Amino acid sequence: MLRSWKLKEVVLMSVFSVVFAVVYLLFVHVGNIWSGFIGPIAYEWIFGIWFIVSIICMYIIRKPGAAVYSETITAAIEVMIGNAVGPRLILSGLIQGLGAEAAFAATGYKRFNWWVLVLSGVGAAVFSFAYGFFVSGYSALAPSYLALMFGLRVMSGAVIAGFGGKWVSDGLLATGALRGYAISLDKRKPSVD
Amino acid sequence: MVLNEQLHEMNPAIKFLVVVVSMLTLAWFFNPWTPAIFFVGIVLIQLVCSRINWKLWLLMMIPFVITAFGYLWTTILFAAEAGGTVIWSWKHIEVTDEQFARALSLSFRVIAFSSISLLFAFTTRPVNFVMSLMQQFRLSPKLAYGIMVGYQFLPVVKEEFVQIRHAHRLRGVGDEKWWWQRLFGMRRMLIPLLAAAVRKAERAAFAMEARAFTGEPRTEFFKPVTVRFNDWVLTALFLTLLISSSILGVLLT
Amino acid sequence: MIKLQEKPIPINTSMVMELSNVTFRFPEDDEPILQDVSFTIHQGERVVITGPSGSGKSTLLYLMNRLYPESCDGILSGSITLFGKNQADYLPGEVNARIATVFQDPDSQFCMPTVEEEMAFTLENLNVPRAEMEKRIVEALDTTRLTHLRHTLIQTLSGGMKQRVATACAILMEPEVLLLDEPLSHLDPLTAQEYVGWLDELQKKYGWTVVAVEHRLDAWKDFFNRRLKVISGGFVEQSDSVVAAPILFNKRNTSMVEETVFEALDVSVELKGKTLLHNASIKLRHGEIAVLAGPNGSGKSTLFKAICGILPLSQGRIISRQTLPGYVPQSPEHLFVTQRVEDEVLFSKRAEPRIVGDLMKRLRLDDIHDAHPFAISHGQKRRTAIAAMLVEKRSVLLLDEPTSGQDEAALNELHQLIRTRAEEGLAVLVITHDMEFAASIADTVFLLKEGLLTGEFNAADVWKDEKLLREHSLLPPIGGGLRGT
Repeated sequence: MLRSWKLKEVVLMSVFSVVFAVVYLLFVHVGNIWSGFIGPIAYEWIFGIWFIVSIICMYIIRKPGAAVYSETITAAIEVMIGNAVGPRLILSGLIQGLGAEAAFAATGYKRFNWWVLVLSGVGAAVFSFAYGFFVSGYSALAPSYLALMFGLRVMSGAVIAGFGGKWVSDGLLATGALRGYAISLDKRKPSVD
Repeated sequence: MVLNEQLHEMNPAIKFLVVVVSMLTLAWFFNPWTPAIFFVGIVLIQLVCSRINWKLWLLMMIPFVITAFGYLWTTILFAAEAGGTVIWSWKHIEVTDEQFARALSLSFRVIAFSSISLLFAFTTRPVNFVMSLMQQFRLSPKLAYGIMVGYQFLPVVKEEFVQIRHAHRLRGVGDEKWWWQRLFGMRRMLIPLLAAAVRKAERAAFAMEARAFTGEPRTEFFKPVTVRFNDWVLTALFLTLLISSSILGVLLT
Repeated sequence: MIKLQEKPIPINTSMVMELSNVTFRFPEDDEPILQDVSFTIHQGERVVITGPSGSGKSTLLYLMNRLYPESCDGILSGSITLFGKNQADYLPGEVNARIATVFQDPDSQFCMPTVEEEMAFTLENLNVPRAEMEKRIVEALDTTRLTHLRHTLIQTLSGGMKQRVATACAILMEPEVLLLDEPLSHLDPLTAQEYVGWLDELQKKYGWTVVAVEHRLDAWKDFFNRRLKVISGGFVEQSDSVVAAPILFNKRNTSMVEETVFEALDVSVELKGKTLLHNASIKLRHGEIAVLAGPNGSGKSTLFKAICGILPLSQGRIISRQTLPGYVPQSPEHLFVTQRVEDEVLFSKRAEPRIVGDLMKRLRLDDIHDAHPFAISHGQKRRTAIAAMLVEKRSVLLLDEPTSGQDEAALNELHQLIRTRAEEGLAVLVITHDMEFAASIADTVFLLKEGLLTGEFNAADVWKDEKLLREHSLLPPIGGGLRGT
């Protein structure tokens, strides 16, 4: 799968991961301590932030694997720069990435409009929830509370990762920085839709 | 052979596998003893087989303890039906001993996961981890060195983040009061950072290709990451701890 | 077509590269960036490729080491022959050991933490047997005199040292051709001069063919023996001169008026327990142009950020008119927070809409008022940033390294821009390493070293004091810098 990838695309994912890792570290750090007191639900509404990198990378690079790779690399880099949650992040990154990838794979990597991106955010949310259900033992929680968590996470995936990812990428595209990547080349071709 | 070097010298890819297997196993247990015994065991192994800064370790554990506490009370308050005898009630809320045991188990699980994650983080050099994934688990060099180069950019990106914040301060943005303002403000931060990242990524990729990097699997390594006999001994040690804490946990409940 | 210049070609004259009728276009563009380019390069030659920014000179270099057309899907016609074989017939990576490249940005050409690991990465790419690696690393470090850096973290090195390490990694591959992509543009003048001397020595020893892309030749002195020029339309022509022609800036009469508009008294800055700036005092007058210079890391940007209010002062005070000085960072886009040039200028809460129209016209932004501030040229970005600062009626403007990486046309434009602002009554303080530029424009020079202000000097006097300049990693301007005084 990686054979068709240019090295600059792989490195792009990796440097984007670093950017997001830094932003997470320096920007959203307040959320962390808070969550302790409020419990697992505190994370839910911003959960989409953790999926955004896979959607942005896929939207820009448009090659099979972009979502899985980028999310996993982001997790790996977070581990390397000393995120104490450590190796389990890599596993959850991989699973979230698979969820995000699923939506693009289902459309044959041909459509990159807003609803596919939103679907991808939802996919990541569903996959990560299933994984959390197992690893964090959500089964001990009341179904109504679980439903609330699930609903919040899906919303967050759709809004923050889906719409947010598109919003950030389109902003980046407008700067002209993405010359030489699929997103700019596709723009030159007549649209498929 | 020095005992307190062992964990630091353990093959990182195998260590990673041990961590993953331990976590996936612990996830099946809902009794408080299993994760608790596992946690104690991990701390003991680390005491003997590593030389880490325990002060820092304690500091890093604090947020996890808080998270564990969060798990404890939410799982008590919003527990699923689990049967058992009521041990505590307040207005409409009734907590049974079963529910309490589960809640305790989940919060111990957070602590146990954190301890093994910290063990990995404290005893593994990031570069060796990636190199080991490439050499032992056949991770594609394109990805492995792609990750390495991104990691090298960390200080540059941090510096740029500070520069942009400084410049934004001059324009009177970036110190918004409300979280939603900050969330929207993130795009203003992100776009210059990402635009610069695109340029850097391309330059770095070119620099690597100009040094004949093709992404093909390589045959020669200057410093091969090896798998030694001790790695298997340590793996056996971890697995023994995992199995015995599982069995003991079930027996004690 | 090719005639030999000045120095005869040493050793022998076997051909290493031949481009014939090369035309190249990026897939996004309609027009080719290079057109009908033909030249040959022989072994042992030292060739420099010059041309204005964006003219395609780097593209040309990347065609010579086979990075292009592949990694950008570019459209190539004509033929490129490397060592007697068509470039398309090489396998990926095959030719890169024979044609090694050093790039411009010292911060983005390494992928491993230490010098040794970076060198090992290079040798692993070539599948060098492990037994041989150690020997080659020791040798390369020895010839480049970098042995003491073997286990050093690359990130902790200075820009100049990083460029040497990048060169050492290139040498490690035992190449026949060394390509250099503006290797000096991030270095201060003295460091750049030292690098050129070091490279000169190595080239004489190994007899490589050197092909460099460079927009300014000052620091290279007479290093090159042939020069190719990329001109407009993407054509390439042979140039007669291989040394730097001094840039002729317009003569300037000072617009300074004896009336203090800004004063910083005894300013110190401390960050995380480290004092970055010790008791600096600066006074600026109406219409004055001052230059602030000193080695990289001496605290120049810290001083700027302190006096425009970004960094808190740990000591001292600032006396300014209505508003603090305006600051334009080295990357002007760091200031941008909107999607349109005009919105950018109007963004400030303290903007005075009355003066916006006039200001945009004076800074020649009226034509691009609707453009995206990130998508315009570097010069336009800077003018937008200046407009965004001046709209708040500031009386002082601080420019951080506006000359870095700029070609002749851009420098002339900058010269004009600063001069005009000063004539309008603004006091302008500029950080620059470019002493030719400084000599042509400054009334006053401030020198800074290790967080200490060495002093304030009259511009006309400071250029004669070579020792003082050297202590600050600076070189006296070519031609004495007396133009314009």
